[in-house]
Amino acid sequence: MAAEDRKWKCWQCNQELVKQQVLFTYLGHTFSHDLPTCPKCRRVFIPKELADGAIAEVEEQLEDK
Amino acid sequence: MVKLEEYRLEDSTSLTAKCFHGEPASCSFACPFQLDVRGFLRRASEGKWKRAYKTYRTATVFPVIVSTLCDQPCQNRCQRTLLGDEAIAIREIEKACIKYTKNRKPQAYAIPPKPEKIAVVGAGVAGLSCALNLAEKNYQVTVFEKEDTWGGILRDHPDFPAFDEDIKLQFSAVDVDFKFKHKINSLTELADFAAVYIATGAGGDDFGLLSSWNDEVFTTAKDKIFLGGMLAGLTLMESIAQGNLLSKIIEGYLQTGRASLGYDVYDKNYCGHYLEHEDAVSQPRVIAASPEGYTEEEAKQEAARCLFCDCDKCLTQCEMLKRFKKNPHIIAVEAYNDTKANPPYSTRSLTRQTYSCNLCGYCKSICPEGIDIGAVLRLSRRARMSAGIHPAALQDFWLREMDFATSTGAYISAPKGKETCEYAFFPGCQLGAAAPENVLQAYAYLAQNYDTGIMLTCCGAPAYWAGDDERLDNNLEKIKQDWTALGKPTLIFACATCETLFKQFLPETKTVSLYELLAQDDQLTPAQPFAEGAVFDPCNARGNEDMQHSVRILAQKAGITITELKDKNRCCGYGGLIRLANPSLYDEITQNRAKASEKPYIVYCVNCREVFTSRDKDAVHILDMVFGTGKNRKVPTLLEKRENSLEVKKALMAEISGTSFTPEKQPWDDLTLLIDDELQKEMEAKLISAGELKEAIWQAETTGAKFYDESDNMCLTYMVKPVITYWVQYREVGPQTYQVYSAYYHRIRIKEEG
Ligand code: SF4
Ligand code: SF4
Ligand code: SF4
Repeated sequence: MAAEDRKWKCWQCNQELVKQQVLFTYLGHTFSHDLPTCPKCRRVFIPKELADGAIAEVEEQLEDK
Repeated sequence: MVKLEEYRLEDSTSLTAKCFHGEPASCSFACPFQLDVRGFLRRASEGKWKRAYKTYRTATVFPVIVSTLCDQPCQNRCQRTLLGDEAIAIREIEKACIKYTKNRKPQAYAIPPKPEKIAVVGAGVAGLSCALNLAEKNYQVTVFEKEDTWGGILRDHPDFPAFDEDIKLQFSAVDVDFKFKHKINSLTELADFAAVYIATGAGGDDFGLLSSWNDEVFTTAKDKIFLGGMLAGLTLMESIAQGNLLSKIIEGYLQTGRASLGYDVYDKNYCGHYLEHEDAVSQPRVIAASPEGYTEEEAKQEAARCLFCDCDKCLTQCEMLKRFKKNPHIIAVEAYNDTKANPPYSTRSLTRQTYSCNLCGYCKSICPEGIDIGAVLRLSRRARMSAGIHPAALQDFWLREMDFATSTGAYISAPKGKETCEYAFFPGCQLGAAAPENVLQAYAYLAQNYDTGIMLTCCGAPAYWAGDDERLDNNLEKIKQDWTALGKPTLIFACATCETLFKQFLPETKTVSLYELLAQDDQLTPAQPFAEGAVFDPCNARGNEDMQHSVRILAQKAGITITELKDKNRCCGYGGLIRLANPSLYDEITQNRAKASEKPYIVYCVNCREVFTSRDKDAVHILDMVFGTGKNRKVPTLLEKRENSLEVKKALMAEISGTSFTPEKQPWDDLTLLIDDELQKEMEAKLISAGELKEAIWQAETTGAKFYDESDNMCLTYMVKPVITYWVQYREVGPQTYQVYSAYYHRIRIKEEG
């Protein structure tokens, strides 16, 4: 099963993840994206596809600036 | 060395100042019009007649006159002749260009009329050329000519009707007031004009001013009166060219009150550069089949014989420079500008390129001026690092490996039972990581034959490559102290990069290569892995003749027939730590190097070996031939490399000091991870070490900070290392044992909410 399709729960809070706006920073830039997050402790889940795809692209763009 | 706080533009530009890429070719320097011969011939060779004509017309003003009468001084400087060929038949091509340009009618210029009135005395070529150029800029020009028509001495030429046509055509789009049969007797008649050009021809009236003539800016003792052309002793061609140049000087004079040369004037004594043309082949001149001159096809062919002389050696031979398509001067300027940029208001343009350079020195070795683009880009890396604007994640991995090798992995000692030594073996941090036996066997050999201690540490190459001065200096300082404490032994190097770094930064050390010592030993017969092979010299062994030669001796002793690579000492791809900064370029470079010869490689740099083995190119390290069976090795994983390094240290400590070494243990070291081959390969390519995953899993399991899927007990967690966030998906399959399903990372940071 793909990691994205799993029903992940936060172990500590025993909560199902819900989509929330998450803030990111890189090389002095800040931006946001909606991602599955523990509603209680706000731990964020970043799937591999996103890390290797869109995030890697953004990283490259910001590194070039 | 440049102080970064004081990084000035010249610090970069002085490094590339002598690059002559884009400079006009030698022929252009000989041309009275400084025609861009190369550009003109390029367009002609492509049959782009209209564009070729435009170039030609702008430079020569009267194309028909010049293409008929120019005596082609450019041909004496044509680099075609270096190959024993006849020079390019430039005038024949010029004529063809005029013939095959469909519409030569000049365009009227939409420039607002200027109020200044300018007088030209004399309607010979000098006066006409100046008048036409000024009129095109919409000045009010009046030409005074004592005869009843223009042309000066050309009027007696048999081709005058054609010249007359040419002049008419060129003046057809401008307004010039020609006053024929109007002799100027005194300059007071011209008092109303803002500038006057006296061009009365050879032996003409100089109004008493020739003796005060300035041959650079063509002024005279009298304010606003200029003089030139054949009156001043110039040739016909020079007179046309000067009229063109003078129009610019007069324009500047009208605007600023000063007569001066612009930037576009060449030093008359300078001839341009001659290139080597190694790959050029001899080609005879194209002969026109008809006395009428070249057909279109013939002209194109003859133009294509031009070598288009311009240096672009580094720009075409270095994959990195080829990819980024920026010329050396621009690179130098951008390197500086980037450190002054202030995003998001202004952005940087050279970052990716800065971190894509192997810093291999190849460009320097092939550049006729010895220009090292890598030096510019390393300066840029240093400046970025010191300003804290470097993309740290691109090189962080190697800096952490260096920190490990210079701390936990380091071991410095004199030989058994001694305080100092004559020699010390400096294997470099990667040799033991890749092949522990190589270090141990080499040390055993050296200890037996020489008074040899050991300096097991990293030379600092990662910090050098990353532009991290502080790390580099601290490490060099530490090495210097250790070396002094050992009694300043001669250092024996196995790695060309280490040796190069020492030569640059610790010139007081005496060095010798391990291979040189091994090659001197007549008792040694290295194992033969293959009958024929090519030596792949690492980039840092460039100029290190002893090292290169010794490796060949050893390979010959093994009975290998050596093929030499056409292009030696090219970086395998590892240099400069570009792998994460530019994965596709890294891939291209490593592939090209692996393909440089069909034959298997003999290497003497562990990084080269790793690059080739990872690409399934057969490559054997010379030490595996000297001390082993000559078999190729597997590339260890990142975690195994660290373990290997510690193993080397442990064995040497036991052997030399008789002490046992137990590295400080981390609680996660005892975890067992099960990782399948495919995932392992992916992790290695991305430089994700199983060590990081162990730490992440241990943290998750002890703190409970993880996600889980209760349907099958799958877990997922992440861990932030200084600038990289590692993710791992895993499941417990036994006591302290975990199956890993995926591992990945990102460089952006999740912003912790307060
Ligand atoms: S080969 Fe072409 S560019 Fe080179 S000198 Fe001759 S005409 Fe000029
Ligand atoms: S140092 Fe090497 S990689 Fe860098 S520009 Fe020069 S040749 Fe290219
Ligand atoms: S090799 Fe490169 S740096 Fe050197 S002159 Fe040619 S273009 Fe310029």
